[in-house]
Amino acid sequence: MMNGFADRDLDESNFGVSQSSNPKDVLRTFDAFPKTKATYTTRSSRGGQWTIVLLVIVALLSLSETRRWYAGHETHQFSVEKGVSHGLQINLDMVVAMRCQDLHVNVQDASGDHILAGERVRRDPTNWSQWVDAKGVHRLGRGRRRRRERGGPGMSGSSNSYGDSGDAAGQNAMDPLKPEELDDEHVGDVMGRAHWKKKFPRTPRLKGEPTACRIYGSIEGNKVQGDFHITARGHGYIEYGTEHLDHKSFNFSHITNELSFGPYYPSLVNPLDSTLATTDSHFYKFQYYLSVVPTIYTRSLKKLAKLESQLAQQFHKAQAQLSSSSSSSSSFFKSSSSSQQQQPILQPRTLADLPASYKTRDVVMTNQYAVTEQSLLVGERSVPGIFFKFDIEPILLTIAEERGSMLALLVRLVNVISGVLVAGGWCYQLGGWAIDVLGGKRFKRKWLGAGTRRESEGVLHGKMEADEE
Amino acid sequence: MPAKSRFTRLDAFTKTVEDARIRTTSGGIVTLASLFIIFWLIWGEWADYRRIEVHPELIVDKGRGERMEIHLNVSFPRVPCELLTLDVMDVSGEQQTGVMHGVSKVRLSSVSEGSRVIESSALDLHSDSTKAAHLEPDYCGSCYMAPAPANAQKPGCCQTCDEVREAYATKSWAFGRGENVEQCEREGYAQRLDAQRQEGCRIEGGLRVNKVVGNFHIAPGRSFSNANMHLHDLQNYLADQGIHTFSHHIHHLRFGPQLPDSLTIGSGVNMPWTNHHLNPLDDTEQVTDDSLFNYMYFVKVVSTAYLPLGWERQARVMSSADNAALGAYGQGTDGSIETHQYSVTSHKRSLNGGDDAKEGHQERIHARGGIPGVFFSYDISPMKVINRETRSKSFTGFLTGVCAIIGGTLTVAAAVDRGLYEGAIRVKKLHKG
Repeated sequence: MMNGFADRDLDESNFGVSQSSNPKDVLRTFDAFPKTKATYTTRSSRGGQWTIVLLVIVALLSLSETRRWYAGHETHQFSVEKGVSHGLQINLDMVVAMRCQDLHVNVQDASGDHILAGERVRRDPTNWSQWVDAKGVHRLGRGRRRRRERGGPGMSGSSNSYGDSGDAAGQNAMDPLKPEELDDEHVGDVMGRAHWKKKFPRTPRLKGEPTACRIYGSIEGNKVQGDFHITARGHGYIEYGTEHLDHKSFNFSHITNELSFGPYYPSLVNPLDSTLATTDSHFYKFQYYLSVVPTIYTRSLKKLAKLESQLAQQFHKAQAQLSSSSSSSSSFFKSSSSSQQQQPILQPRTLADLPASYKTRDVVMTNQYAVTEQSLLVGERSVPGIFFKFDIEPILLTIAEERGSMLALLVRLVNVISGVLVAGGWCYQLGGWAIDVLGGKRFKRKWLGAGTRRESEGVLHGKMEADEE
Repeated sequence: MPAKSRFTRLDAFTKTVEDARIRTTSGGIVTLASLFIIFWLIWGEWADYRRIEVHPELIVDKGRGERMEIHLNVSFPRVPCELLTLDVMDVSGEQQTGVMHGVSKVRLSSVSEGSRVIESSALDLHSDSTKAAHLEPDYCGSCYMAPAPANAQKPGCCQTCDEVREAYATKSWAFGRGENVEQCEREGYAQRLDAQRQEGCRIEGGLRVNKVVGNFHIAPGRSFSNANMHLHDLQNYLADQGIHTFSHHIHHLRFGPQLPDSLTIGSGVNMPWTNHHLNPLDDTEQVTDDSLFNYMYFVKVVSTAYLPLGWERQARVMSSADNAALGAYGQGTDGSIETHQYSVTSHKRSLNGGDDAKEGHQERIHARGGIPGVFFSYDISPMKVINRETRSKSFTGFLTGVCAIIGGTLTVAAAVDRGLYEGAIRVKKLHKG
């Protein structure tokens, strides 16, 4: 076969068989992609239609692939919280149906600390009816958030509202009426809202008698099991010199606008946000048991890892500083007073301790919590009030939404395109071949039309037969 | 060529005869480049196939009646060993006061002398040095109105200073420096205390506890329990007012055996910290000048298992028997390790109470009273982390990957080559035309 190429009026350079040592020619011999001369190929309209179909398929698949890449995928990781933690911020915004001067706000925790939260939070007198309309419906319920209501004795509202969220979880995620419990499960939602304004809203101007008190603000507590409570003056804590508060003025009906742990992100929805609990009894004890789960939302695990390594560096720097300062002041005994005045060295121990310059928009560190409520009518000898008992879980939840790299997308796209083209070409050829084998010449004509690629192959095929002879 | 069979008609891979083929230089370059890319990608695929991933799982800890080991190594530069006591208590009611077993105290020279190691002695107060071996056979030391300890060398007598101290402790009497106590004067207890006044102490070793909520603490003076109260004899500590403080440096604190380095270093993005940081208290330091200062660490312990590749194929003998040597507990013969991680919150306060105004929290009022010392209160999490080593890909997965790489690359290369060829022809035509 090789011998005949000169007869066929072909240039030697068209084949890679020349003996020349020209590097170009050497390279040429490696060409594994044989191209057929244009004169040997034909185009058919059927093939053209097929090509267009394939192109449409390719476009559709690439589009969906790109969309999936753009949306990213979410991973949930659990790890034991690293570093030595210290404080925990509690953010609170509540309205209690009692006058401000009759309320005490305190935190007591397992470390034995007693935090006079009342000094840290703001207390604005307000009117209960400004927050609750005639039907007892919480007015903040308008807008994006759906409000849940809990009654006093004999109510069953809370279990219902949790129940239907469970049903809805199975529904289509595109449902615009999805319950708020699901709102914050996706990193995108959280990240979007986490950077909204971070101030507590102002108390509406007082209308009428100040029958209620709005308590709001952030309290820095210890990150240990604790009990945060709102009680009546003179009940629960021993006080002197204040007149006894009339039991008839007790009314611990309350609206929780916000209760969250960690940095204040008002737009993140927590289970107790916008809830209402009412009672008609004077001696009623609302108890909430909260399990706080530290949570990190991130758009990029890499950034989180970088942050953590920076933290490690900072920590070691501070550690070195600390030990050098402690060894330099080894003359503790002589100058204990001077070392007492020495600046406390900031020792960042958890991600939350990192200075603000390290913070990135792609990492939101917060806490989620689960809550169960246990409220009961108590006797006159017990302390009525609103109690939040919280405990911190040791497991840190990291929810990461990640997008694959651009390169990975390109590789996938190339895979899709080449796969479709190759598979399409095969289908086309197989179809033609099947007709070739099964049907007669007439059918073949009908399928492929006159002067098709198939026919040209047929010609070559015939030639092969001729060679054999 | 073989004889033409009827399979020839079935050939789906029709070939162009050699005559109709054209080879070009650009085609050669593309071929070589694609070969290179293929090898590179296959190499990557191979590396991916060989890679061992650590896959964390979270389950509920279903273990029962387990024990847990606490390994600690803490330096107290300003409290002498003679004064320090390590006690362990848990909710099951088990108390180990004045733990001796497995823990040793290392005497450190005073801070001004650089806190060097003086002597390492097992934490054993009943050592031979304090035994009154040379006493007369019928000697019976007085216990000074206190009942003699049950485990005394001679029933009903207090032969040594130590036994007198123990007798005093059962009566909840303060012991002090042992003045006017014959046994102590003989042994030079007060001198020993004086000699060590400026010294520091390092407590190192391990102890085994029940896996239930509990606490252990290092506090000055002998401890004794009285009517559900846990008390320490602080007299000697407070006598040297201002010298002793509970500044401390935690070198190590871990619950159970150390995880292997390979687990924490090689696993990339998910665990950016080294092993060192998985025990968050390692290498931390707290300094104070107040002798009445209390440090608390709230530790939450999470069981962690580490299962290396192929652990399920081997017979698993876990040395979890109670008689396992200290330190060997939780180490399987196949390299699997049952250990614990922990998260920790630290807290410190002065025993005088007061607020936290220095740190900007006037509203935080510390509790008053208590015992100076370092307290670790540990809580057991119901969750368990299993770090399982797995291969990220099966062998067939690897083969599929290789095929995809070869096929994909060649197809794309063919397209590129085709484009170059057609382009070249167009250009040529343009030049001619």
